[in-house]
Amino acid sequence: MSEFVIALFLIAFFAWYLSYSATRLDRLHHRVETSWANLDGLLQRRAAIAIEIARSDISDPASSLLLTFAAHQAREASVRDRSQAETGLTGALGILIESSTSISGPIEQDLIRELKELTEKIKMAVSMHVDAVTRTQMVRKKWFMRFFRLAGNAPEPVTYEFEGDVL
Amino acid sequence: MPLSKKRIGIVCPYGWDTPGGVQSHVGDLAQYLIRQGHFVSVLAPAIDEENLPDYVTSAGRPIAIPYNGAVARVLFGPIAFSRVRQWIANGNFDVLHLHEPAIPSISLLACWAAEGPMVGTFHAAAKRQKVTFAVAPILEPVIEKLTARIAVSEAARETLTEHLETDAIVVPNGIYADLYRDGVTDQRWTGNTLGFIGRFEEKRKGLDVLVAALPSVIAKFPDLKVFVAGPGDAQEVLKEIDPYLHSRFEFLGRISESEKANFLASVGLYIAPNTGGESFGIILAEALAGGASVVASDIPAFDSLLGHGAYGTLFASEDSQDLAKKVIALLGDEEGRRAIAQRGKKYAQQFDWDVVAEKIYDVYEMAMVGGSTVTLSSENRAWNKFLGRQS
Repeated sequence: MSEFVIALFLIAFFAWYLSYSATRLDRLHHRVETSWANLDGLLQRRAAIAIEIARSDISDPASSLLLTFAAHQAREASVRDRSQAETGLTGALGILIESSTSISGPIEQDLIRELKELTEKIKMAVSMHVDAVTRTQMVRKKWFMRFFRLAGNAPEPVTYEFEGDVL
Repeated sequence: MPLSKKRIGIVCPYGWDTPGGVQSHVGDLAQYLIRQGHFVSVLAPAIDEENLPDYVTSAGRPIAIPYNGAVARVLFGPIAFSRVRQWIANGNFDVLHLHEPAIPSISLLACWAAEGPMVGTFHAAAKRQKVTFAVAPILEPVIEKLTARIAVSEAARETLTEHLETDAIVVPNGIYADLYRDGVTDQRWTGNTLGFIGRFEEKRKGLDVLVAALPSVIAKFPDLKVFVAGPGDAQEVLKEIDPYLHSRFEFLGRISESEKANFLASVGLYIAPNTGGESFGIILAEALAGGASVVASDIPAFDSLLGHGAYGTLFASEDSQDLAKKVIALLGDEEGRRAIAQRGKKYAQQFDWDVVAEKIYDVYEMAMVGGSTVTLSSENRAWNKFLGRQS
């Protein structure tokens, strides 16, 4: 009889642990999605500012061309090519910022300031997203999760390699 | 600042009425956010539940437990847990900010109980210990619920990466830099003087390290004076000190903020000989903002706050001879002392609340992107559906 009780208890615990683990994974995937939404939004804003800068008096025609091209590429890139495209934009913006110490005009200065603030935020967002992704990948790799296919149909999150060089 | 007002819940793990770095950080942050127009509620353990500021909710009386080499006044247990759950359910928060969620405390309980946008701040910087390997598997599933992590220093961030394999954004603790910006030099404290601020009776503040260093410093600088500010019983401490050194000491007791500013602007060197237990070293940030030239022990928190020695001088912790050597070198080099103090003062502006709180709010905003609010969590959503409960 007592064996029966123990077996029952074990089964109940196992069932609990299964659903607990599934919840844990689900929550992690949610974290990946929201942190990506956040990062994506910030990057879109950066591309928009880059285009605005390209149209303003800050940049000469050559860098305007480069910026506009990079910004459009960043906007249109698919998820997998995204980090490379964004790094391209980072480079284009970096060249401009470096050579623009003598920027005058309140509007231009505002643009540059906004870009700098945004860059700080993007750094944070990248770190948040990367953490969520690595965490999720780690938990997905556990044998328990794999064996019982607890991740279900959720796609494996892709690492976003932002090379840590956001300006 | 924010266009929309948010409801922010902050959990402080340590007893509200005991003085401490985390508590004052939480208090300052809450007040700053309230001034910005947000609704803020702080949940903290408290001994005296009657005399709390109106933004603080008591979670019960804290208990003193030894944790990580110090005594922590924290709270946990089933009653505390139900209070935490109640606070979360009633708060209807947009974001939850948990301080030090990796220690057994109401912060951990809140992290366990809540679901939604959550930010955790990690204050402690500790060396890697065997015990953390045992604790990590228990903590990981809880800590991983946090939407964003903040570490108060590079040292705290390293601790977090080592112990829980997770990264964090570094946002330092805040000070009111403008309070210290305009200290005036007070002749009483200038010259070959050493300053010390803190609860000097506590062993970990390291006053005895400084005392042991004095004889060799006095041999070089016979007119040396030591000014000690902070609460405590001076007579008790003097009993332990060699009588021939007594005339060197002057105990100032507790000093006001403006006196502190003048004190920092005046003393020859500010000494922070702490032997450990510091999470951030807010006093060093204040000392730098006040324009003092700082000599501090090389414990992780101080090392990272002083930029590995770029903005202040470090000595080997608990090594009085090394402290004496550094003090003698600096007292003899007024130029160098002033240069490092000036660098430090400029550097300390980044610790101003205006900068720090803004950064913390940026993190909140990122955590809130999903648009959901904080609710009580259900570890087993599937069961809830099965049992017909709302999830």
